[in-house]
Amino acid sequence: MPPVLSKPTEQPMETTVNTTAEGRPDFISIRDFSFFYGKKQALFDISLDIPERQVTAFIGPSGCGKSTLLRNLNRMNDLIDGIRHSGDIVVNGRSIYDPHIEVISLRKRVGMVFQKSNPFPKSIYENVVYPLRVSGQNKKSVLDETVERSLQGAALWDEVKDRLHESGLSLSGGQMQRLCIARAIANRPEILLMDEPCSALDPIATVKVEELIRELKQEFTIVIVTHNMQQATRCSDRTAFFYLGKLVEFDETPKIFSNPAQKQTEDYITGRFG
Amino acid sequence: METPRHILTNFETALENLRKDVLMMASLAARSIDSARKGLFERDEDWCNTVIADDEEVDTLEIQIDKAGMDIMLRYHPFASDLRNVIAAMKTSVNLERAADQAVGIARRARKLILQPALPEIARIEPLFDTATNLFKDAIKAFSDGDIELARTLKLRDKGLDEQNRSFAETLADLMQKNPDSIRGYLELIFIARCLERIGDQAKSIAEDTIYAVEVKDIRHTSIPN
Repeated sequence: MPPVLSKPTEQPMETTVNTTAEGRPDFISIRDFSFFYGKKQALFDISLDIPERQVTAFIGPSGCGKSTLLRNLNRMNDLIDGIRHSGDIVVNGRSIYDPHIEVISLRKRVGMVFQKSNPFPKSIYENVVYPLRVSGQNKKSVLDETVERSLQGAALWDEVKDRLHESGLSLSGGQMQRLCIARAIANRPEILLMDEPCSALDPIATVKVEELIRELKQEFTIVIVTHNMQQATRCSDRTAFFYLGKLVEFDETPKIFSNPAQKQTEDYITGRFG
Repeated sequence: METPRHILTNFETALENLRKDVLMMASLAARSIDSARKGLFERDEDWCNTVIADDEEVDTLEIQIDKAGMDIMLRYHPFASDLRNVIAAMKTSVNLERAADQAVGIARRARKLILQPALPEIARIEPLFDTATNLFKDAIKAFSDGDIELARTLKLRDKGLDEQNRSFAETLADLMQKNPDSIRGYLELIFIARCLERIGDQAKSIAEDTIYAVEVKDIRHTSIPN
């Protein structure tokens, strides 16, 4: 088991934060959020409160908008021409669309892991420290500490500590994905977004990443998009089901998968869609 | 609103087969209870032997249902109502097997009673047979139709059967003092009444599992609502 990482030292500006029924603060508050790719509306009035240091899974059929919403949480969709939104997304009490927030600083607070592992053609060491170097940090002691902390956090340290200067591309698929997770947490983000992080992995590598997700939630607020419902049940505390750009149901994961309130959710998770 | 069929037809077929096996087992168990009753009241050993012989088929079905349920969970990872239905089917089969065992118990005691002179007090146990049989058949109907309202009645009605059994045992205890020569026969009847009371318990459990499968309410170990 990787050690628990220390808390981020930089605390963003605090404002009023709602709490869930279990008393956990709502870390991410999505309010009446709609999103458009040009004329096509991809998300419709989504309102969702994601609690701090829990794993929240987004599920739903292809094209339901779950990845679109995920990519809005760090404003990755800003890179696409013709997009627009209405409503708001508030992280830790502050809107991510606040004109005083720089997108770059937002993305430092919100790490992301993609479906296909995408290590840079650099050494394992350089992959992990890449976000720090981009921010201008080149002090060796800081970089060394970050590499060890991040690789331990990603449950990869023991496997690569003796070959840190070998290419990241020399690792197995599962190791590469965990390297990307190490890179994503190197900058001590508050939130970790994962877009189908295990879909290209074999079952053993998948189990390792899933165990890692459960471990990482002690330190990060995690949002994961997955098509694998068994994975959602194993990894997540809460699950949101989306259909045709709308949030159909959001509840605790055991409730969603044993007794969903909405018929659409029931039909989807029991394989009766279509 | 009608539930749409699964995209995966094999999954749909497996669930249907599991349900058919449970209903087959239920009809065999109900038939055994009826046969045991006939054996007792008609003093016919053949009916009793039929019950004992049929129990093997019930046991085989119980194993088959367990295997099929496990297979469905392994292959299709059911969720929500599918998961609850598979679990309810597996739990119901256990209760059906136990009910069939009670029928075997009745048949064995009936065979012993047949060897003795007929007891006129045997008529006193007929109302217990009626109640237990009705409870059992209604439990199966509730399971088969997903009839929650019917299922809800069984808990209270089972209490009624418990009371009938207690009253019957007290009556027989009094009769034992008056007619000590018939003690052995009375003891057999008390045992049969206890088997019927247990059939009521199994019917109640089937109803509870049906309510959980349909409504996701666990009413086991709860008091009966007014």
